[in-house]
Amino acid sequence: MAAPRSCALWGYYGRGWSRVMRGCRLPGLRSSWPGSPLGARLLSQEKRATETHFGFETVSEEEKGGKVYQVFESVAKKYDVMNDMMSLGIHRVWKDLLLWRMHPFPGTQLLDVAGGTGDIAFRFLNYIQAQHRRKQKRQLRTQQNLSWEEIAQKYQNEEDSLNGSHVVVCDINKEMLKIGRKKACAQGYKTGLAWVLGDAEELPFDDDKFDVYTIAFGIRNVTHIDRALQEAHRVLKPGGRFLCLEFSQVTNPLVSRLYDLYSFQVIPVMGEVIAKDWKSYQYLVESIRQFPAQEEFKEMIEDAGFQKVTYESLTSGIVAIHSGFKL
Amino acid sequence: MVTLLRGTLRPLRLFQALPGPAADVPLRAASQGTGLLYPEHIPTSLLQKVLLTAGSAGMALYNPYRHDMVAVLGETTGCRALRVLRDQMKRDSEGAQILQERPRISLSTLDLDKLQSLPEGSLGREYLRFLDVNRVSPDTRAPTRFVDDEELAYVIQRYREVHDMLHTLLGMPTNILGEIVVKWFEAVQTGLPMCILGALFGPIRLSAQHLQVLVSELVPWAVQNGRRAPCVLNLYYERRWEQPLKALREELGITDPPMHIKA
Repeated sequence: MAAPRSCALWGYYGRGWSRVMRGCRLPGLRSSWPGSPLGARLLSQEKRATETHFGFETVSEEEKGGKVYQVFESVAKKYDVMNDMMSLGIHRVWKDLLLWRMHPFPGTQLLDVAGGTGDIAFRFLNYIQAQHRRKQKRQLRTQQNLSWEEIAQKYQNEEDSLNGSHVVVCDINKEMLKIGRKKACAQGYKTGLAWVLGDAEELPFDDDKFDVYTIAFGIRNVTHIDRALQEAHRVLKPGGRFLCLEFSQVTNPLVSRLYDLYSFQVIPVMGEVIAKDWKSYQYLVESIRQFPAQEEFKEMIEDAGFQKVTYESLTSGIVAIHSGFKL
Repeated sequence: MVTLLRGTLRPLRLFQALPGPAADVPLRAASQGTGLLYPEHIPTSLLQKVLLTAGSAGMALYNPYRHDMVAVLGETTGCRALRVLRDQMKRDSEGAQILQERPRISLSTLDLDKLQSLPEGSLGREYLRFLDVNRVSPDTRAPTRFVDDEELAYVIQRYREVHDMLHTLLGMPTNILGEIVVKWFEAVQTGLPMCILGALFGPIRLSAQHLQVLVSELVPWAVQNGRRAPCVLNLYYERRWEQPLKALREELGITDPPMHIKA
């Protein structure tokens, strides 16, 4: 039975939305019914099968990419300010937690997809450098009889501080990358960074290239999430880790009500007042509701070939960190 | 506790934009055109309107270049005043025509060449001169989005487009002093809360000298003329381009400003 497509009805089915949507797009019905009475329904199934959601709207799959591009083009300049305002600064803690879960070692090759303004990339570089500094301190403490010239030498080796670690920031949106590059210059990140324009569904990298693949608050905007997961699997080295930080479903009912209230009543207003853009922030909160819940997303990651897939809910499930390994 | 909260809030319809299912269901009626009263309409709940009012007022004071915030403030607070204005327009013959025909003032509807060719001192010519001298365009007005009635949305759109006409009629430039004077005139004429707030809080950013001039001469003049003149929204400006500005001013009872303010 075709699931209800009208947006008003979606509202009634609570968490089942995304499941119902995905169920509809499976080709099951199409192939097994040859009879003509169902011909008309077959045709409409065909047409509707290439449709997807854009927030609570229904759009064709070709349209969605373009519409998402426009949203991020228009929010790029105020992206960081709005993130701070909307999450009251908590998004910084979430991103820090992602890095702590990643626990990268010097020499890690990181690919940060949908990393536009560089938040994860900069945190990665900071983490590696902090690690290096701690190691240096420990070394110097054990070597008691160094001359001051040797000590100064040790502290001066800047290039060595990363020790081969490297992060590639990949994003489909030029504006977001531009903001990221500007931030990098302003904050003084010179080495260890690369900025690449690319599509998460079709990454411009060879197989088995990266140690860690991260995607923070980006995968829900991808039209075909399964393709993005498959690409992630492809570009990771064997033993590589997939990490995804994304909005998820809230488990606690009270928090859920407050969260819904805040999302739908306050966030678009904030978007209008601060960024002059109601509709992009309306899309943002709707796209969060459309994204699968923790368990379902875990299954999607396993379908792409990852193993030892786990997830950790943060802030009562407002966001979740999913992790998987390519073994 | 949650059910108690829900119980008390449901009758208030605080969180619903339009009457519909449970208050907590986040419906976006904008999709598929249902619930939209006009193309640019964004349905908002009472809570959203309150937040928008507070946010836009604060942002407009913080950054006076955010004209769109002033516009949003007007839309969210203007319910009652707009209804009064609309009824006033319906009672007047010219106003009723405007409501029926819904003329719009924008670069695409204005015939700039014709206006240019009109004699000096006519409304059309002076309006064009005003646009040139102050380097403004009628197309910079944002469309109405948050008014939940289609006719009232037109009334406020008309008010915005007539705002430039008022500058011409009153002879005020578009700098902050001129804008405040026009706001006082509009506040008396329309009673829109946004105009009243703008008239009262706009002078916060003025220098002492300007403030003195404003309070002693310009505001009394604006208020007097605002009271005396009939509703300016009732004038079908598109049909009066050839009318000499002086004659129009006499018709409305608008006297010359007490001093000339430079642009």
